[in-house]
Amino acid sequence: MDLFLEQLLNGLAAGAMYSLITLGLALIYGVMKILHVAHASVYTTGAYIGLVTYTQTGSLLAAFLVSMVFCAVLGVLIERFVYFPLLKYPAYVPLISSIALMIAIEELCRVFAGPEVRTFPAELPFSDISVCGVTVSSTLIAVYAVSALVLFLLWLLMTKTELGLAMRAVSQDMETASALGVATHRTVAITFVIGSAIAAVAGILVGIYYNQVYPMMGEVPAYKTLALIVVGGMGSAPGAVLASMLLGVAETFLIGYTNIPMPRDALAFIAMIIILMWRPTGLLGKR
Amino acid sequence: MRRAFKVMALGAAMAAAMFCTQAFAADTIKIGMLAPLTGFAAADGYSAHESVKMAVEKVNKAGGVLGKKVELICYDDAADPKQSVPLAQKLIGQDKVVGFVAGSYSLPTRAVSAIFNDAEIPLISAYALHPDITKGDYTFRNGFLGTVEGKGAAEVAVKMLKAKKIAVIVSDNDFGTTLLQGFDEYVKANPGVKIVSRQKYATSEKDFKPYLSKMKKDNPDVLFFSGYYFQLSPAIKQAKEMGIKIQFIGEEGADSPKTAEIGGAAAEGLIIVTNLNRDDKRPTVQEFLKTYRAKTKIEPDMVGASAYDAFMLLIESIKKAKTTDGKAVVKALAATKNYDGITGRFKGFDKDGEVVKPIQVQILKNGVFRYYGEITDSKLITPSK
Repeated sequence: MDLFLEQLLNGLAAGAMYSLITLGLALIYGVMKILHVAHASVYTTGAYIGLVTYTQTGSLLAAFLVSMVFCAVLGVLIERFVYFPLLKYPAYVPLISSIALMIAIEELCRVFAGPEVRTFPAELPFSDISVCGVTVSSTLIAVYAVSALVLFLLWLLMTKTELGLAMRAVSQDMETASALGVATHRTVAITFVIGSAIAAVAGILVGIYYNQVYPMMGEVPAYKTLALIVVGGMGSAPGAVLASMLLGVAETFLIGYTNIPMPRDALAFIAMIIILMWRPTGLLGKR
Repeated sequence: MRRAFKVMALGAAMAAAMFCTQAFAADTIKIGMLAPLTGFAAADGYSAHESVKMAVEKVNKAGGVLGKKVELICYDDAADPKQSVPLAQKLIGQDKVVGFVAGSYSLPTRAVSAIFNDAEIPLISAYALHPDITKGDYTFRNGFLGTVEGKGAAEVAVKMLKAKKIAVIVSDNDFGTTLLQGFDEYVKANPGVKIVSRQKYATSEKDFKPYLSKMKKDNPDVLFFSGYYFQLSPAIKQAKEMGIKIQFIGEEGADSPKTAEIGGAAAEGLIIVTNLNRDDKRPTVQEFLKTYRAKTKIEPDMVGASAYDAFMLLIESIKKAKTTDGKAVVKALAATKNYDGITGRFKGFDKDGEVVKPIQVQILKNGVFRYYGEITDSKLITPSK
């Protein structure tokens, strides 16, 4: 029982961190129909900016805020100067640019911050707790609390505000939304702001959770999140979260109960293939 | 007109540059080196490179070798075999090196060892531990063979820590599997000792909690965790977060100042098998440690010390051979006896070019590795392929 609970807690934490990285990708695919691979490097940048701010100020809140603003601006710049001019070309053109951008940002992180692994020695404002004989560490609590807060705020925004309505309208049909008076380009820009800010949060959380920040930390998420948005249903934010949570729990249990020395990232793609054979539109995708 | 002038100036400059390098080349003895200066293994590459640069300085200050200065040509292979192969060819074809210090990981070093062997250029692998690296006549290893180090780790578990039930979590790559092979051999030869939990993890793994939860259920006495510092330190930290109290035994992959930095308080008391003893009283060792600390402002590690030894062994052998001819240098290398290295007193090399020297057991105390024990049993430290 302890083992089960422990593995479940670990799996949920992995899932929560996947969710935060994947959300931006899903939202952006929703409004723009672009596979924003470079999103993973925005996440890496977020971790670094958070780390630098934290070491300078000693405040985690400042680290989150500065990093979110920085990444939001970075996201908008990417949208304005890379994707927007390329929208008129076939989908593979922005995709290839995105991969190039990803490598460029990763290398910039390496040049500025050095190639080595940096630690994120965050002092969390709460301590470990014990539930049914299982220790829940402070970093786990941080991951749960912050992800829940982000998901709740995003849900409010998407369902209760006009902006959320506009975002959903643009993601259904950009031209019709535009004809009905939705400022589509502004909506797209705001989507980049939100998605990139969430990526910054994810970067800092992952940095603290594993106590490691390094230039290549975005490499695995770069392709894994692609699998996740496909499984979730292209462009569906709830689908992305569902797929991420399921994957986090599934891979943790597979590692914890079986003995397959396969990278968990390979398991993600196997899951993707199985789910797509069963539901070609993804878990929550609509046709 | 201006353009023509520019072209001429450029041409003249290039000719001058070429002339300079050629003139310079004739006067030095060139030693090649590959190390991962960028990428995931960059901290190791840095340590290896800085240490060998120290060695070069020392040799040149003392007048060089065979009346010439020594020149080190080091390229970055990013621990990637795709990168190491063309760079090895460049070192041989263009730079004309007469010896090679392999300052990188097993995978890229395996890829180049045959190339140097075919070119009849002596190669010393500093710390890469895959058996295949020393297959040729021109290839030597100053670090431990993976199986030897695996046996050493098992000796620590069984003899020093008196464990009966052992858990192993190893990296599923060249490095981890050869270590495990040696570890297994030792345990099999010791009835009454059992491996109760055995897991392998993919090299990209960051989250060890599922492995640790599963291991805990079998209630082992000690855990042999093979992996680099960026794997062992998160694991040891996560174990502490989960309230798991178990003695970790690591190996040379965790012999890095980064282990204490990432692992923090959780890493205190970690025991590793490696080849650098920081508490070695010999003046050469203490001088190396002091110079390294002063130069880089970080704690020295086995990677740097091993690369330093590899380079010095090459130089010593060139001195003894009185020539840079590969065959003669290799003969001198193979005849090495009781060499006083930073990484211990070498008994010498065996017929395959594997080093025979004691295994050092170190414990992490107050953020630095200190002496815990030494394994000198010749049955254990003599490689058997």
